[in-house]
Amino acid sequence: MEKVYLCKTSELADNQVKKIDNATYGDIAVYNLGGQYYATADLCTHATASLAEGDIEDDMIVCPVHWGQFHIPTGKAQGFPCEIDLRTYPVEVVNDEIYALVDSNLIAKG
Amino acid sequence: MFTKTPDLPIASMEELFELSAFLHKEARLLDEERFEEWLEMLHEEIHYWMPGIENRRRENPLKEGFYDKDHMAYFDDRMRDLQRRVARFRQPSAWAENPATRNVHIISNVEAFIAPEADTYMVCSTFTSIRSRGLDEEYVIYGRRYDRIQRTEGGLKLLKRLILIPNATLSCKNINTFL
Amino acid sequence: MSNIIKTLDVTDALPNLKKVCNLDEGRISGEIFYSQEIYEQELEKVFARCWLFVAHESQLVKTGDYITTTMGEDEVIVVRQKNGSIKVFLNACPHRGNKVCFSESGSTRGFICNYHGWSFDTAGNLVGQHESGIYEASEFDKSKWGLKEVAQVDSYKGLVFATFDPEAPSLKEYLGPMTWYLDALFDNQEGGTEFVGGCIRSTYECNWKIAAENFVGDILHAGWTHDSAARAMLGGAVAKVSDFPESYSVNWNGHGYEFALDTVGNVAVLGESKLNRYVHTIKPSVAERLGEFRSNMIASVSSATIFPNFSFLPGQNTVRVWQPRGPNKIELFTWVVVNKSAPEEIKEMWRKGAMMTFSPTGVFEMDDGENWEYCTKTAKGKVTAKQDLFVGLGMDTLLEETPLPGNVYEGQLNEANSRAFYQYWFDLLNAKSWTEVPNRNKGKAEAE
Repeated sequence: MEKVYLCKTSELADNQVKKIDNATYGDIAVYNLGGQYYATADLCTHATASLAEGDIEDDMIVCPVHWGQFHIPTGKAQGFPCEIDLRTYPVEVVNDEIYALVDSNLIAKG
Repeated sequence: MFTKTPDLPIASMEELFELSAFLHKEARLLDEERFEEWLEMLHEEIHYWMPGIENRRRENPLKEGFYDKDHMAYFDDRMRDLQRRVARFRQPSAWAENPATRNVHIISNVEAFIAPEADTYMVCSTFTSIRSRGLDEEYVIYGRRYDRIQRTEGGLKLLKRLILIPNATLSCKNINTFL
Repeated sequence: MSNIIKTLDVTDALPNLKKVCNLDEGRISGEIFYSQEIYEQELEKVFARCWLFVAHESQLVKTGDYITTTMGEDEVIVVRQKNGSIKVFLNACPHRGNKVCFSESGSTRGFICNYHGWSFDTAGNLVGQHESGIYEASEFDKSKWGLKEVAQVDSYKGLVFATFDPEAPSLKEYLGPMTWYLDALFDNQEGGTEFVGGCIRSTYECNWKIAAENFVGDILHAGWTHDSAARAMLGGAVAKVSDFPESYSVNWNGHGYEFALDTVGNVAVLGESKLNRYVHTIKPSVAERLGEFRSNMIASVSSATIFPNFSFLPGQNTVRVWQPRGPNKIELFTWVVVNKSAPEEIKEMWRKGAMMTFSPTGVFEMDDGENWEYCTKTAKGKVTAKQDLFVGLGMDTLLEETPLPGNVYEGQLNEANSRAFYQYWFDLLNAKSWTEVPNRNKGKAEAE
């Protein structure tokens, strides 16, 4: 398990999502939902799209391209045309720094 | 097709017969241009409403889906308004009515229910209105009607009518009839 | 990457066009209402070049609010942008041309084509496709394939206009002094106007010019055509326009506004005394805002067309666009305009009043439709189409000494605006570029 630094809590306001470039594991989207932080893969599972450019609606991220939705805490695909779930990462907050815990054995390069 | 009709108790066979006869008579009076007698079939509190139909996406509906009570309508009339429309038909200078428009109103799919209001029925029907003018003009309008018909001392009276057509664009220039 | 539509190639004017009208002699011919060849020229030289009304700002309140309409026969989407501006796009996917927005209005994140899942944001950018990997493998450049954007969009007092032509003069220049008159309806109160909800669409088998010209300057027909409606609504005949002590026909660049100064003549036919009272109530504040003269125009006997196909009636507050659908067919879009600041009850009365008078079920419009259709249909006859039609009333009525802006003619029972409308139309059909359109304006370009 690798601890990947995402950003500082001060860089992510409530109800915001941010894309963190990561060449090794694929870009990661980090979310702040009411002070609770989540991390998922940033690339939509349907077509080429950065989810961080989408809108957060309650606890869903709406893909900016075809408006499919994923449940942020679980990564579950919820709306057409998204049918493949999104990878999620456990998040650890150390002081004011947000980390994703990435299982390097399971993840192919993104 | 449109608004979901509330579940109401079904009227009796006799009542259905009587209400169907009422609607058929109404259609005949209109075809025979007996507008004053037609007005007498209406309740003095009549609301005669035919909203404009708007072509909207399912996730972006209006208050009633394809229409909205605050939006534009073809008819949103009370008794005074209907009387004014009849008054125009009766003017010798109603140029577009001479030669006369020839009308056929076909009423079908009549269903009658007991409305929650006292002495009132909810009657659903479909209509086809065929008009011909001049030598070769023909206009057909069809749709669904949701009526409230009340039993009064003066007999059955039409209290409310909601007229819904499927068309977002009226395929003709006017509606110079009642539906 | 800009996806703005470039100037279209303009074809040569039709030969023998000059035979179809001579406005100096006060004549036109029915041919202009029925010829397919002339109609094709109109789509290119009038509708693809002029400023066309596309929306009222009140229809597009927040980001992503849109309506769909047409400019000529071209389908367009009018959509509010994140920065508050309004853009107009062709409602056609740049991949196979399929329509991308099928609803007439709503609020959206963008537009997704049903065919191959090309997805556009509200700014028209192509943001992705279904099977996006295939495009990436072909080194497809998304930035070049956004929705095609209409060259110019601008608004005046809530009225949004657009033109396909990057070379077209500015909206301000195009409207010229007509804005001074537009204010009488569209800016007579603080906060301006709004459209009440919805649009009624109907179909006439008539040429678009017949309808537009009726509003540009033909009050003459009202006393005769609308006798039955006036008697039904008012219990008496239409006001005798020739008895009015003062009235005018004003035009500019083919636009026209004809009006009396009786304040309430038009609103009165709605038969709602509360509306008449409302007009009288706001009149002093209108006088303060726009001056005494225009306060007499709020709802007076009047009508107007902004060339080519945007028309309205002050007082009845009906607004319409005559959308061309072939030489002998129009789709008529009808809206109701009200002052934003008006009480709800007043807005509601106008909504119903406009429907009752000037709409497909309006008692006035019934008799117009019949006339306009047969003005068009008679020209089906080859011989009939070649005969002269008279449009010569008020030939020498131009007022040289007047403080009023625009080309001002004495009296509203006058065909000066109709002639100016057809003249501008004729000039456009003969011009390959805007610089070839002769300036025939004689009056003041601005109010004194």
